[in-house]
Amino acid sequence: MLSHEELQRYARHIVLRDVGGPGQQTLTAARVVVVGAGGLGSPILQYLAAAGIGTIGIVDDDTVALSNLQRQIIHGTPDIGRPKVASARDAILRLNPHVTVEPHELRLDAANAREILSGYDVVIDGTDNFATRFLVADACAALETPLVAAAVIEFYGWVTVLMPYATAPDGSRNPSLKAIMRQPDEGRAQTCADVGILGVVAGILGTLAAAEALKLVLGLGTPLIRRMLAVDVRDMSFDSLDYAGEPAVAAADET
Amino acid sequence: MQITVKLFATFRQDRFKLAEQDYPEGTTIADVLDALAIAAPDVGMLFVNGRSAEPERRLASGAVLAIFPLVGGG
Repeated sequence: MLSHEELQRYARHIVLRDVGGPGQQTLTAARVVVVGAGGLGSPILQYLAAAGIGTIGIVDDDTVALSNLQRQIIHGTPDIGRPKVASARDAILRLNPHVTVEPHELRLDAANAREILSGYDVVIDGTDNFATRFLVADACAALETPLVAAAVIEFYGWVTVLMPYATAPDGSRNPSLKAIMRQPDEGRAQTCADVGILGVVAGILGTLAAAEALKLVLGLGTPLIRRMLAVDVRDMSFDSLDYAGEPAVAAADET
Repeated sequence: MQITVKLFATFRQDRFKLAEQDYPEGTTIADVLDALAIAAPDVGMLFVNGRSAEPERRLASGAVLAIFPLVGGG
């Protein structure tokens, strides 16, 4: 049951078509984990907290640096030098004390990824490197947990939803991250540290990723499954690109 | 044969967003990448008609080729 204070806090959700009191209770019961409390993670965490996601996990092993603050808006100048998970936890609890925060101050690796990410309803990947992206995607596939993946650089970004353990009504299987994206050699991919990023680009893609996570929790609308939304802030263009599933086993010989 | 090429993110810089281009029969994705001066290791995603594809793949007339760079920052 939502308290009187929560009914006021979430009033705009409670009057909202297709959310309402039951939807708010679903959000309040939900467990969502965000990998990376950086440029993407900042708005993701803020909107999940404001929306009243009951339990929010944060995975990050980094500390706040001055050069982060141009885009990592969950952290403030007094947080420089603090662990990002601690700074983000404090910001979340200032925004919404009803949220339970589960900080994981560590770097995901093959040995711990499944254990850390298990027990969450949705995983959101906002990390800054491909090795962790593929690790998170593999763990989510094994755990059969929906993954909202987003990435940014310069003026650009993309976001998609991966559920490779699920099939469409025609029997075709949703693709995995590996099926659509090549894992680059270490050091090949440019990073935001190398080539920069317009800070607000992380805000736009992070907000889109948070929207997809809230939709998945609520069972609302059409998620970006088999769809890549590519954002170009230079032109302010949003391109939605459909990508196909893996053929059903019985049909594989015909293609 | 006509190929529709869609470029994304940093690949648009000094190139284009979308172009219909004429290529000889038998052209592969790798040939298109060469023509566009895109190094294969910099490519993150390739889709032909919405299906993920490898650079060795031969293109058919009318194909829509989408090319994404490695965008993995957070």
